[in-house]
Order: sequence, then structure tokens, then C-alpha cells
Amino acid sequence: MKTLRLEFADTMSEVGQCDPRLVVMVGDISHGILQGFAKACPGRYYNIGICEPTIVNMAAGLNKVGLVPVVHTIAPFITERAYEQIKLDFGYQHLSGNIVSVGGSFDYAQLGCSHHCYTDVSLLCHLKRATVTIPGSPVEFNTLFKKLYATDGIHYYRLPERPHGIEFAASDLVPGRGIRLREGSDLTIATIAPQLSNALAAAERLAASGLSAELLYFPMVKPFDQELLRASLGKTKRLLVVEELSAHDGLLNLCLRAAIGLPGFSVRHLALQDFLHGYGTHEELSERAGFSPQGIAKSAHDLCSSP
Amino acid sequence: MLSDRDLALKSLQYRLQTLELIHSAGAGHTGGGLSCLDILNVLYNRILRVSPETFGDAARDRYVQSKGHAVEALYVVLADRGFFPFSDLETVCHYESDYVGHPTRKIPGIEQNTGALGHGLPICVGMALAARMDRTGSRVFTLLGDGEIAEGSNWEAAMAGAHYKLSNLTAIVDCNTLQISGHTSQVMNSEPLDEKFRAFGWGVRVVDGHDLAALTEALSGPAEADKPTAVIARTIKGRGVSFMENVAKWHHGVPSDAELAQARTEIAAAIAALKGGAL
Repeated sequence: MKTLRLEFADTMSEVGQCDPRLVVMVGDISHGILQGFAKACPGRYYNIGICEPTIVNMAAGLNKVGLVPVVHTIAPFITERAYEQIKLDFGYQHLSGNIVSVGGSFDYAQLGCSHHCYTDVSLLCHLKRATVTIPGSPVEFNTLFKKLYATDGIHYYRLPERPHGIEFAASDLVPGRGIRLREGSDLTIATIAPQLSNALAAAERLAASGLSAELLYFPMVKPFDQELLRASLGKTKRLLVVEELSAHDGLLNLCLRAAIGLPGFSVRHLALQDFLHGYGTHEELSERAGFSPQGIAKSAHDLCSSP
Repeated sequence: MLSDRDLALKSLQYRLQTLELIHSAGAGHTGGGLSCLDILNVLYNRILRVSPETFGDAARDRYVQSKGHAVEALYVVLADRGFFPFSDLETVCHYESDYVGHPTRKIPGIEQNTGALGHGLPICVGMALAARMDRTGSRVFTLLGDGEIAEGSNWEAAMAGAHYKLSNLTAIVDCNTLQISGHTSQVMNSEPLDEKFRAFGWGVRVVDGHDLAALTEALSGPAEADKPTAVIARTIKGRGVSFMENVAKWHHGVPSDAELAQARTEIAAAIAALKGGAL
């Protein structure tokens, strides 16, 4: 199967020749394979070099005057290092653009932990107006990029080094929708790229040993297909999540992990769903977010009155 | 102290060992390793007051390799200086080996994990400031790439180093003029680096980064009063192997068996020439 990085280059050429607003900016990565785009779309390809925060700043500036930027380099440097630029210059300024990374998780294993990145997906999910796509095959990137790239939002695409090898039709791929690859009744396995192939193989192995696993695959995690997950969990009551992402994603994650194995439990969550826009004192903003005695009590009542 | 001739021989031996290491590991940063090897040679054999025995001393000199991707060259020099046996390097890039493709403090002799560019100089500003506060007499050296210098954090650190008058801090820039995708001047031109560092308040020395005597003088001379020192080392990426010199693809190219054999032949000839044909 073609690599995601090559598909990225081909998709840029395809889209760039149809949309004169598309501009690609890279941080000294994938320069060779993007020469097709550079030739097909003269004046719209920039290798800015090794200065990721500035690349994001510049991309925001391009969008400010009407262009559609695509920023591309290695995941830890374009997300963790340049996060303030993404958060403020795209998020707070309400600008739109596309961030395409390679080297997420431990794809660059031989280069050591400075080149690992487990938090990019989480970081981008914190941002209002962000979409987060983890395409595991060429058609996923090509289809979802074309549907998202020019829409309002901060669109993050994490390209795994190795595609999962499973073929999907373009019609299977809808922004914000997951895919049920296998029906089951004993447990739900939820996964993202590139671990789909391992999860599928595991489901087949489980079937041979008498366990019926339902397999859900999420090419996008924001927006997240809650309906698909809830329908499956309602049936199986058991969830196994397989993801190449940090397990330390917040208190809810910690609580849920701590509760693994307990009999049926209910959960509520008081946390910051999005940035708190607007001025006010800390107390005022706290109350708006539900962090007040009455807000906490309301959540507690909701929790205790739920079936 | 090693003679100039012995030091030159070491440079050639280090080159061969670096190439053999990268060939054996099947991965590594060849061009940038060869461009900075003479700098590392001079640092570890003539300048740095550090050894395996004194690595725990508070007063030791510190070296941080900010261009961490050239780690194979550093591994070779550290092994030669006795920080660990050469046999350790057989595991470079192997599963669960601590010898990965960037420096980590798990390796004896390495002060600081690097890999993400633009971190070495700022952390060295902190280390130099602490050494001055503690009055240890420790000096701090860091090695940057000229592609890396595009990271804005370097210039914030340059400002801070001058502001705090850190005359115990030396930043060496390995100016090999190439980065992964081509000429640095075409990707993001950072020249004239000497004028830029001077404008930030640094003492500046521009040297041939393969001239061991000039490097020794630049790195051992007293700092200008109350100023950190920038040594702009003009180097050649892939230095010492004819088909690797000034070719961007050798940034992280791995030599084949035939290419390693050719490199061995060239380096052996250089060693023989240096020894007056005694080999």
C-alpha cells in the first residue's frame, strides 16, 4: 500500500491544481516528494526551514488574507513546540488552516525520544474548531482532506509512517464518523491508525477462542463518533481501547483507567470542554464552567439520579 | 597534549570509525557527523577539562551537542576518550539499546539529551549562569548546526547570553552550508552569522572548521571581556570522503558495502600520506 506521506504529496498536487488558494509550507521535511506540487503550483510551495513556531505564525498570516495554508513537518515539533502559535494565532484569532504531521507516536523510533510524540492528538483536541484525523490508508487521507481542508477550522492530520493495509472505499469515509469493521457481542475493541491491522487480527484470534469482538475504527477522533461507540458499548458492556497515544490525557482518563474492572459504574465529568472566551474574574469564569458549589452539586444530583 | 600530527591522525581514524558505525547500525547522520568531527576532536583532546574520572565533578567543563543528530561522531570520540568501550557501539540503534540516534544522558559522558533542535544553546546559557553563580570555574560549550540556527530559541538565548555577560560560554556553529533538503542559504539564509552574533553582543571568531590548529586557538583563547564567544566554524558536509562532500543526500545517507570500501580506501590513503607513506 502506498505510504501516507506519498499520498500527502499527491493529494497536494491534485488539490493545488484545482484550488489556487492552497499553499504548502514545510519545515525541511518531505521536500523532495513535494517537488511535483511545487512545479504544478508555482509560487505556492515554501520550505521555511527549521523554525516551526514561525511557520505556524506565517501560515496564520496567509489565511488572514484569504489563502488556505497547509503546514507540514515532524509531529512533536509542529504540535508540541509550536502549540502556542496554533492555539493563539489560529484558535484565538479564529483563523483556519491545515497541519499535516509525520513521525507521530514512535514512528521515528531509531532517533530516540526527542522525536517521539504521544500528545499531539490530545493537544489539538483541546482546541475549539479543531478537527483531528488519523488516516491509516491513502484513501482516508485523500478523501477526508478534500472534505475538510477549506472549511472553517484547524485541521490536524497525523500521518502514520506505516499504513494499516486495509482498503476502504471513499464512500466509507465521512468526517466525524467511525467504521464498524466487525460485529460482535462480547466486547468492543476501539482503535485508531495504525493499529487497526493488529486489532483486526486480534479480533479474528478471539473469535477462534470463542470471544466475539466488535471492532470499531475511528479515522477521526475529533469530531468523535459517540453514537457508534455508545451503540456498541450498550450491546457489549466491555470496552478495550487500542491507541498509539499517551494514556495520560486528563483526570477523566485517569479515573476511567482506575475503574477498569469494577462492576457497572456511572460517570460525570466537570472539566473544561473548550477555552473560556470572554472577560471576567476567575470566580465568574469558574461558575460558567460549572466549578461552583451549585454547579458541582447539580452534577452530583445528575449522577445519583441516573439509572 | 597530542601533537598536531597525532591529532590529525585521530580525525582520520574517527572518520573511518563513524562511517563503520553508521554502516553497521544501518542508520545515522553521516554528512553532519563528518563536518563536525574535527571540532569534536579538538574539544575532547585539547579543550574540555573533562574525563571519565571527572565527569561527576561540579567544576568540570560541560559540552552539549545541540545538533544531536550527529551523535555517531560523538559516540566515536567519547569511546576513544574512554567513557565507554567501543564494543558498546555494536548495539547502536538496536532494539532496547541506549545508543539511539540522538544523545541521551544514559550514555556515559553525555551531559544533555538533545534531538529537537534549538535547545542546546538556551540550556547552556542556564548552565553557564549557574557555573558563574557557583564560582566553579566551569566552562560551557555547545555545538549548533547552521540549519538549526533558524530556530528562534537560539536568538533568544544569544540575547540572554550577552545580557548576562557569560564569558564562560562558547557556542560553536558547524557551518557546513547544507541541511536535509539542500543549501541552507536557499532554505533559510542565516548569514552573515558573524555579524549577527556580534550585533547580539558576542565575541566572534571565524575559523576553518577543519584546521585543527585554528580550532585550538579559537576555542582556547581568552573570551572578550564580559562576552560569550561564538566560533563560526566553516566546514564541509561529508568532509573526508570525496563522494560525500557537499552532497545533501548524505545528511542521513547510510553507506553501502561498496561505498564504505571506497571511503576506507580514501581515508587509508590520507592516513598513509600523513604518516609519510609509512603504511
